[in-house]
Amino acid sequence: MFSDHHQQSRRRFLANFAFASTALATGVGSWVVRPDWANAAADPIKVGVATDLTGPIGYAGNADANVAKMVIKEINDAGGILGRPLELYIEDTASNESVAVGNVRKLIQRDKVDLVLGGITSSMRNAIKDVIVARGKTLYIYPQLYEGKECTPNLFCTGPTPAQQCDEFIPWLIKNGGKKFALPSANYVWPHTLNVYARKVIEANGGEVIFEEYYPLDQIDFSSTVNRIISNKVDVVFNTVIPPGVGPFFKQLYEAGFLKNGGRLACVYYDENTLAINQPAEIEGLASCLDYFKALAPEDPVSAKIQAAYDKSFPGTFLFAAGSAATGTYRGLKLWEAAVKEAGKVERDAVAAALDHAKIAEGPGGPAEMVPGTRHCKMKMYTAVAKGGNYEIVARSAGLVDPKEC
Amino acid sequence: MHNLITALFEIMSFASIVVLVVLGLGIIASMMGIFNFAQGEFVLLGAYVTYAVHNAGLPVWLGMFAAPFAVGALGFVLERLIVRRFYGAPIVAMLGTYALGLIIREIVRGLIGGLYLSVPEPIGGSLSVGDMHFSSWRLVIILITALVMAASYLLLARTAFGLRIRASLENPALARASGISTNAIYGATFAFGAALAGLAGALIVPVFSLFADLGLRFLIQGFVAVMVGGVGSFAGPVAGAGIIGTLSAALPWVIAPVVADVLVFVIAIVFIKLRPQGLVSGRGV
Repeated sequence: MFSDHHQQSRRRFLANFAFASTALATGVGSWVVRPDWANAAADPIKVGVATDLTGPIGYAGNADANVAKMVIKEINDAGGILGRPLELYIEDTASNESVAVGNVRKLIQRDKVDLVLGGITSSMRNAIKDVIVARGKTLYIYPQLYEGKECTPNLFCTGPTPAQQCDEFIPWLIKNGGKKFALPSANYVWPHTLNVYARKVIEANGGEVIFEEYYPLDQIDFSSTVNRIISNKVDVVFNTVIPPGVGPFFKQLYEAGFLKNGGRLACVYYDENTLAINQPAEIEGLASCLDYFKALAPEDPVSAKIQAAYDKSFPGTFLFAAGSAATGTYRGLKLWEAAVKEAGKVERDAVAAALDHAKIAEGPGGPAEMVPGTRHCKMKMYTAVAKGGNYEIVARSAGLVDPKEC
Repeated sequence: MHNLITALFEIMSFASIVVLVVLGLGIIASMMGIFNFAQGEFVLLGAYVTYAVHNAGLPVWLGMFAAPFAVGALGFVLERLIVRRFYGAPIVAMLGTYALGLIIREIVRGLIGGLYLSVPEPIGGSLSVGDMHFSSWRLVIILITALVMAASYLLLARTAFGLRIRASLENPALARASGISTNAIYGATFAFGAALAGLAGALIVPVFSLFADLGLRFLIQGFVAVMVGGVGSFAGPVAGAGIIGTLSAALPWVIAPVVADVLVFVIAIVFIKLRPQGLVSGRGV
C-alpha cells in the first residue's frame, strides 16, 4: 500500500516535472503561430517578433504583435514566400531589458529565426541589438519612431526619424503657431537627441527657443514649467514629456489659459492612443507629425483597407497607431518580404543586400522605400491637429520624406 | 507679485494632494504599527472606481462618492483575510502588503489595457483673477483636504471610537481587558485608512489621469513623508506630507527639476539622520 502510494507519487512527480520543464523551456511569454498549411514541401521561414507585451507600454507591444500576426497570415494566405510558409515566433520583452535579452536569445538560439523585428524604446533596441545582430548573426528590424543615429550593419529602421518628423512640421508650426518655442522634455535619450535637431530647424526657420528643460520621467506636477511658458508668452510648446507626466502637464497648461491665449501644443509621438490621456478641450489644436493617422482612411484606400483588416481581426483596446510602432511593424515585415523575394533565399547577407533598396507600393500612409546604404526608410509624413478628440489632417508631405540618417 | 501668488497656490495644491494621499497611510502606520505597501494601490483603486462609474455613463461625482466606500470595504475584507496575520511581524507585513499591492496594480493594468485614461472633473475650468488663472478643481482639492484632515483629527481625538483606537494601539492587552475588541478596532482602522486612500484616488484622478502606476508614484513620497513626520501620531505623517509636498512642488521653481527631484530625498535623509524620531515624536493624536 505504502509503496504503491510512493510509486504513484513519484510518477506524478515525474509527470509534473516534465510538464514544468517543458513550460520553462518554452518560456511563459512565448507564442508560436504556425501556418495553416502544414503539408508544405519546404521548411517554414521563421519570423521572430520581440516586443513589450507586458509592462507600462504593453498596449503598444500588443498592437505590434497583432500587426505581425495579421501580416504573416496575409502572406501565408497568399502562398507564403518562395513557396515556403511563414511561422511567427513572438517573445515578450516585458518593458525590461534584462528579461528581454534572455527572451531574444531564445528566438535566436532555440527557435533559430531568420529575422527579428521589435523593440519599442531606444533602450530596448540598444539592449537587444547586439544579441541579434552581432552574436546572433541575424537580421534585425526596429519599427519605432526614434532619435536617429542608429547605423549598425544589418539593423534596419522602419519608423520615422527626427528629420522626417521636424523638417516639414516645424515650419508649419511657425506659420500656424508662432516663433517662440519652449522645449519641455523628459530626461532620456530620445528627447535630448530630438531637441538638438528640432532646435536647429526652429532657428533655421527664424524661430527662437525660449527654454529647453528636462524633467524626471515620473514627474507629474509642472506648475513651475507652466508658469515659465505663460510668463514668457511662448507660442509653441514642442513637447517631449511622456506619460504619465504629459497628461497633468497639458491639463495645467490648459487651466493656465495657454490655449485660450492662442498657444499651440505640438508633440511628435501623439497618436490615437495618447488622445485619451486628456479631455478633448485640454488638447484642442495639438499638432502631431507622423507617418500615419487613422484620419487618413477616407482619402487613402490602402490605409483604409489595412485599418479595416486590423480592426476586424483585433477589436479592442490595442489600436493600430503610428506612435505604438504598429505602422513601422507593418512596413518592416512587408519590406522584408519584398527583399526575401528578390534575394530568392533567407540567408542574412543576401536579404540585407536586397532590403537595402527594398520598396513597397502599398503601406499604411502610403508607399515606402529604403534609402540605399542608410538602412532607414523614406515615407510620407502627415501633420494632424486634434479637434474635439479626433485628428484632422492639415498638411501632408509632397512625396516621400528622406530620413537623413547615416 | 502675480508670479508669487500663482506659485504659492500651485505649491499649496500639490502639498494638499500629497497630504491627502499620505493621510490614510499615516493613520494605518501610526495607529496600527504596520507599513501598508498596498496603500498606493488603494489610491489607484479609488481612481479606478471613479473611472468605472464615469465609464458606465453615470456622473463623475457619484464615482468619487462611491470610491471611499468601495475601497474601504475592500480594505476591511483584506484586513480580515490577510493583513491581520501580519500584526506580529512588521517586516513580513511590508512584504505581504507589497504583494497585495502588486496583485491589485496588475489587475487594474489588465482592466484598463495599460493605457492612460482621462477622467473629467465635476467642476472644471479655472478661476480668473486679473490675468492669473487658478484651477477650480485644485481649489476643491485644497478645501476637501482641509475638511478631511479636520474630520479625521476630530474622529481620533474627540470621539469615543478614537479613544478606543488609541487605546488599542498603546496597550492592546489592557484595552482587551477593558472590554475593547482590538480585533474589530484594527479592522475598522484599516478600512478607514483604505477609505481615505480611495477618496484621495478619486479626487486626484482628474488631475493626473488614470494609469496603473498612479499609486506607485506616490508610495515613495508617502513613506518619506511618514518618516520625516514621525510614526506614532496623527499629526506627524500629516506634517511630514505637508513638508515633502511643499518641497517637491517648490524646488522646481528655483532649481533644475532633475536636481530638485533628488534634492527632496537628500534633504529628507539628512533630516531623518539628525532627528530620527521625526518631526512629531511620541504617541497620541
